[in-house]
Order: sequence, then structure tokens, then C-alpha cells
Amino acid sequence: MTAALPQKCILILLMLSVLAMTGCHARNQASKDFGTVAEPTAAATPQAAATPGIDDAPAEASYAPTPDPLYRWNKFWFGFNDLFYGGLMRPFAKGYAFVVPKPVRSGLTNAYQNFIFPIRFLNALLQLDFKKASKEFGRFMINSTLGIGGLIDVAKADPNLAPGNEDFGQTLGYWGAGDGFYIVWPLLGPSTLRDTVGMAGDAAANPLTWIFGPWSFGGEDNPWYWSYIIKGGDVFNNMPNTLESYDSIVKPAVDPYTAVKDAYIQYRRNAVSQ
Amino acid sequence: MQRFATRLVLSFLIVFATAASALAGPATDTLSTSVDRIITLLSDPAYKVSDTRPAMRAKLIAVIGEIFDMKELSRRALGPEWNKFTPEQQERFVTAFGRLLENTYLDKIESYTDEKVQYLKEQDLGSDKAEVATKVVGKGKEIPISYRLMDRSGWKVYDVVIEGVSLVQNYRSQFGQILMNESPDALITKISGKNT
Repeated sequence: MTAALPQKCILILLMLSVLAMTGCHARNQASKDFGTVAEPTAAATPQAAATPGIDDAPAEASYAPTPDPLYRWNKFWFGFNDLFYGGLMRPFAKGYAFVVPKPVRSGLTNAYQNFIFPIRFLNALLQLDFKKASKEFGRFMINSTLGIGGLIDVAKADPNLAPGNEDFGQTLGYWGAGDGFYIVWPLLGPSTLRDTVGMAGDAAANPLTWIFGPWSFGGEDNPWYWSYIIKGGDVFNNMPNTLESYDSIVKPAVDPYTAVKDAYIQYRRNAVSQ
Repeated sequence: MQRFATRLVLSFLIVFATAASALAGPATDTLSTSVDRIITLLSDPAYKVSDTRPAMRAKLIAVIGEIFDMKELSRRALGPEWNKFTPEQQERFVTAFGRLLENTYLDKIESYTDEKVQYLKEQDLGSDKAEVATKVVGKGKEIPISYRLMDRSGWKVYDVVIEGVSLVQNYRSQFGQILMNESPDALITKISGKNT
């Protein structure tokens, strides 16, 4: 009975995704330019001419800003997340980083990343990037065996087998979906409409969903909550690093909300273009 | 015979060295020279001693000031808003923004221990501009950092792109947001406020 809830959630998200695809249609053209140009810097240049004013085009990275229609909601949850992670969780993250040595923490991250390799593999395939897909497959084979179930990233030693990060949001971007609009989720943090749909896709490609999820082999009384516990554990394990990156954006910022929003959008656009 | 072999090897080395630098490009050369000077300064034992530290820090700021074009960086960070500032406001803005960047990034640079900088490639951006892609490797972490330089009687950096996020673009979003509701003077005060 308990399994019915996640199933409904996924159905709703799938329906949302259909809506989003039609919604994003108008923005397709602008973002396609972004996806097809190989170099991230070169990708930004065509739009630079659009910025008037200063004598010679002011910068490479001028692009159409992502709309923020949910500004009030976003600002509220930004403040909430900032307090929750930056304030409440920080001492726990610090304590955890102090007690658990870095090699152990990265080992756990490696193992989880190795475990969710189907997400990256599938999305590389969906982007017709067979080189990346074979790379992900190679990494999975090497790290699962020589790397003791993914605990050690041995494949990384080969420059051709550097870790990737393909996800469903990037796949949607590859096929021309624009950001949509900016949205900050409680606890999950900054996202866009496209990447929110992407999260649902990633959940569907995550083995945890299949082991503990609604269609699991465990039947009616399968412990579905385990997938959330494992995902939460991964988030917590990465918290010291996440806070470090977060601080490096927020500390030098004059307007932290805008700084985080812009950094997220730029980071994702760059990820889509690669 | 052995001397001949040594000479042969040496001449090969020279050819390779010049070929390599030709491949890298003038922007990379200028950048790597400055980066090397910064690394030398940081690894100087005088940096570890607290009474010689301020002097070393001043030297470091001087080297950074030579390779960074703060005025260009500020102008781009304001975007079209730059022209709405009076020359006097522009000057104060450059000083305040420069101080902010100095404070943030000096702390960061000083925390570097045995990170290595790898120069990956140089890309021509047109009209005397180039982008140098580098990778900072250290302690199991790799951070891709690209520098955008402009040749105006010498190559100078006008933007830094860390993991795909352009510093100038990030500040332009922030400043644009603030200037929607506030005056240039209020923005400058806000930036200076972060420095204290």
C-alpha cells in the first residue's frame, strides 16, 4: 500500500514533463544554439552582439536571462535552505568531516556514483554520445571490479576515463529544451523547470527506484524508504564539499540570491553544452 | 661520439621547447609567467613568517595587479550599466570591486599548498582576445579554470571562468539586480561594506 504513493508522484511528474516539453517549445531556438556549438565560450559569443551600450561587445558570456516568475517562493526557500544547510547542518557536516577521514568520504561517494552509473550511461546514449556511453560503461566495469564495488575510482587514472556527470536535465537540454524558469526547491536547492523534469527522469533511471521503488521485486512490503535513506546519506556524506562550494559563491557575493541563481544557470548551461 | 649525442639531444630539446611554446600561444606564456611568479612567492619561506607576511602579500597583490585588468573586469561586470556611472563613480567602483576580489581570492590562493596548474589549450576569441584553459590539480580534486585575456599592449586577464561559471557574468547578474532598485552610489557602498 505504501508503494502506491511514490508511483503516483512519478505519474504526476511524468505528466508535468509532457507539459514542460510543450511549454519549453518557444525557447527551443535560443537554447539549440547553445547545445550545438561545441565550445562553451564560443557558444556564448553569438549572443554577445545583442548587448548594446559599450564600444566593443562587453563580454562573451552574455545570454538571455532565465526568467524568475516564482521570485517570492524562490527567495523564501533560498533563505530557508541557507539557514538549514549553512546554519543548522554546518556543525554536523563539520563534525562529520572531522570524524570521518576524507578517503572514506570519497570512497562512499565513489561507490554511490558507481552504483547510479545507469543514469549517466542512459543519458549519454539518449544524447547519442556513444563515446561518453562507452566511457561510462568502461568506468563501471573497471571500478566495480578493480575498484572494489566502486569504492576506489581506479579508472580515473586514465585521462580517457575521467568521471562524467550526464543526467536527464542535460539530455533535455541537448534535444533543445530551454531552462524554462528558475525554481528553488525546499532542501533540494536551485533548479530550473527543465532540470526538475530531469530529476524525475534520473529517479526513473536510478537502480534504487527499481530495487526499492513501486515496481520493485520485493512485492507489497518492500522497504521503499531505503532509497530515500541512501540518497539522503549520499547528500550528507557530500555536505562538507557542498558547503565549501556554496561558500565560494555566497561569501564574495554582493547579492547572494542572484549569485547562486546565476552560478547554477551558468553551470548547467555549460554542462549541457558538453 | 658522446658529445655529439648530447648535442643532438639538446638541439632536439630546443626545437621541442620552441614548438611547444608556439603551440601554447602568447596569452598562455604571459599567464603562466605570472602564475609561476605567484607560486614562487607563495612557496617563499618568508611568507610563513608573520612579520614578513604583509610585505609578501603586497608583492603578491602587485603581481596579480599586473596580470589582471581591473578596469576592464569592472566595466564588463557592470555591462551596459557602466555608462550610467559618472567617471568619478566608475573610479570608486573599480577600487571597491578590486578590493572585494582581492580579499576573497587572496585567502583562497594562500590556502593553496601543493596544487599544480596545467595549461590545457589556448583558444582565439577574436579581436585580440584569447581564452586559456587550465586545470588546477591537487588533493584528489581537479578544478577547471579558464582565463580570458585581452591584448592591449600586453595580455591581461578580464574574466575568470571556474567550472563553467564566469566571474564577470556572475557579478553582472548581481549588479544588474541591485541597480534595478538602487543607485550606483548605493551599489558602491554595498561593495565597500563587504570589504570591512
